[in-house]
Amino acid sequence: MSTTVPLLQTRHLGVRFGGLQALDSIDLEVQAGEIFGLLGPNGAGKTTLFNLISGVTPASSGEVLWRGGAIHGMDANRIARLGIARTFQNLRLFQSLSCRDNVLVGLHRHARLSWPAALLGTPLARRHHRQLLERAQGLLELLEIGHLGDQLAAGLSYGDRRRLEIARALANTPELLLLDEPAAGMNPTEKEELRHLIRSLRNRFDLTVLIIEHHVPLMLGLCDRLAVLNFGRRIALGTPDAVRNDPAVIEAYLGGQP
Amino acid sequence: MDSLLIDASLLQQMLIGALLGLSVYLPLRCGQLSLATPGFYAIGGTLAALLSTRVAALGGAEPVYPLSSVLLEMLLAAGLAGGLAVGIGRVVLRLRGVYLAIATIALVEILRVTTLNQESLGGAVGIFGIPQPFLDPEGYALFTLIALALVSWLCDRLERQRLGRAMEAIREDELAAACQGIDTDRTKLVAFVLSAVVAAITGVISAHFLNSWNARLGNFDASITTLAFVVFGGSRTWAGPVLGGLTLTALPELLRPIGDLRLIVFGLVILVGPLLLPQGLITPERLQRLVRLVRRIPPLAPRSEGP
Repeated sequence: MSTTVPLLQTRHLGVRFGGLQALDSIDLEVQAGEIFGLLGPNGAGKTTLFNLISGVTPASSGEVLWRGGAIHGMDANRIARLGIARTFQNLRLFQSLSCRDNVLVGLHRHARLSWPAALLGTPLARRHHRQLLERAQGLLELLEIGHLGDQLAAGLSYGDRRRLEIARALANTPELLLLDEPAAGMNPTEKEELRHLIRSLRNRFDLTVLIIEHHVPLMLGLCDRLAVLNFGRRIALGTPDAVRNDPAVIEAYLGGQP
Repeated sequence: MDSLLIDASLLQQMLIGALLGLSVYLPLRCGQLSLATPGFYAIGGTLAALLSTRVAALGGAEPVYPLSSVLLEMLLAAGLAGGLAVGIGRVVLRLRGVYLAIATIALVEILRVTTLNQESLGGAVGIFGIPQPFLDPEGYALFTLIALALVSWLCDRLERQRLGRAMEAIREDELAAACQGIDTDRTKLVAFVLSAVVAAITGVISAHFLNSWNARLGNFDASITTLAFVVFGGSRTWAGPVLGGLTLTALPELLRPIGDLRLIVFGLVILVGPLLLPQGLITPERLQRLVRLVRRIPPLAPRSEGP
């Protein structure tokens, strides 16, 4: 595409679970500012790819480059502190914490304060804490759950939980946001709202978004570029139009011609 | 003093119980079931017993053991236990759940058996004649109360800031916590070390109060008892283990009039407590409700003092 260093790049990335080659030699380049989609049938390896990028699962082969520097093999917390935040397909909120506290945990890398000051509750520490609370409230409001700050995460509706997870991920002020099936369980209206939300978040925070979603029309309408995975291999890559007409994609989704 | 239900001696033991409860609570706040507290308690106690009986310079010539020496012992015990906890924690904190519990029980047993077989550490007989910094139990109770207030205050501050939130996040979901940029290994280690330090300084106080120290004071039974403090009181905020430690230490003594039946009643309380209150007596939500309730009362006070 361009000559600049891609924000995120994978080279020959692969992972084996016992006898299963879950991902096989995946090459991807995600440019800064892109909304990049990952499509593919169940079990294609999309979430596994997220796990490799975010450091949750170690790669068996190949490399992950962040701004040209290798990050594979780093712990998940170090990768998060580089500015890569993610949500989870099966929602991993801190259930018995309030929504506000969930977002405050997301603000972890910004809550920098010397511990004596924090311990003694100096005026500086109190101001710092107030700022954190304001940021958390701002993020909750951005995701339209500002009124739920005191509620426990466990008591939220499904859609609100998805929103809270996005708010928590944004609290990290990531450069790259990995969204794993954010529209799962949403009705068509909510999906349409989500599409606008992701676009507006991208513009507002200068985000790069890597998104997994099964809802093909949503993905075609939202993404700048798409990659399609099947059985751990990348079978297509390109703009929504190119991917839509790719014979390999049609075969993966609808089966081969007799 | 005799007419009171709780005398200073019992109060002292209750306060010790509360401190040990806090020591178990700290790792549990990040979901780490560590039963090492009695081990570090024994390290503190043994160190205090050895230093105060063998190092003449600490005791001076006075009949009352100087308080500054006790504070010095606490400092040394905290350093020793904290240092050991860093080394041990790096290894055992790789384990999770019940495996961590078993590893820490093993640690407690190793320390106990070592002390038991090492004449220089007191051996099977123990160490007697530990000098007294206070002449009456009231003095001890006051000193321990100050220590408990300080540790509770520190825990309260901790809970309100970054480290405390990170600990809770790890308890809720370790993987998700790591993905928020929390160094989970380091956070768990910090909690483990803090737990060891609290247990060790408690051991120092206890050694002087008990006047003698032996290997049986830090054993597997103590692991379970201190864990019961937290399970009964609640493991989500510092007030839980404090209340649990106070009540469960006092209960067997208060029930003494009913004879051996007290053991059954005590067992019932420990059994029924978690059944009725799975989160323990005190949860942050209940505490908030209580605070709101108390805040509603004060307006009455100025009115009654009015002209």
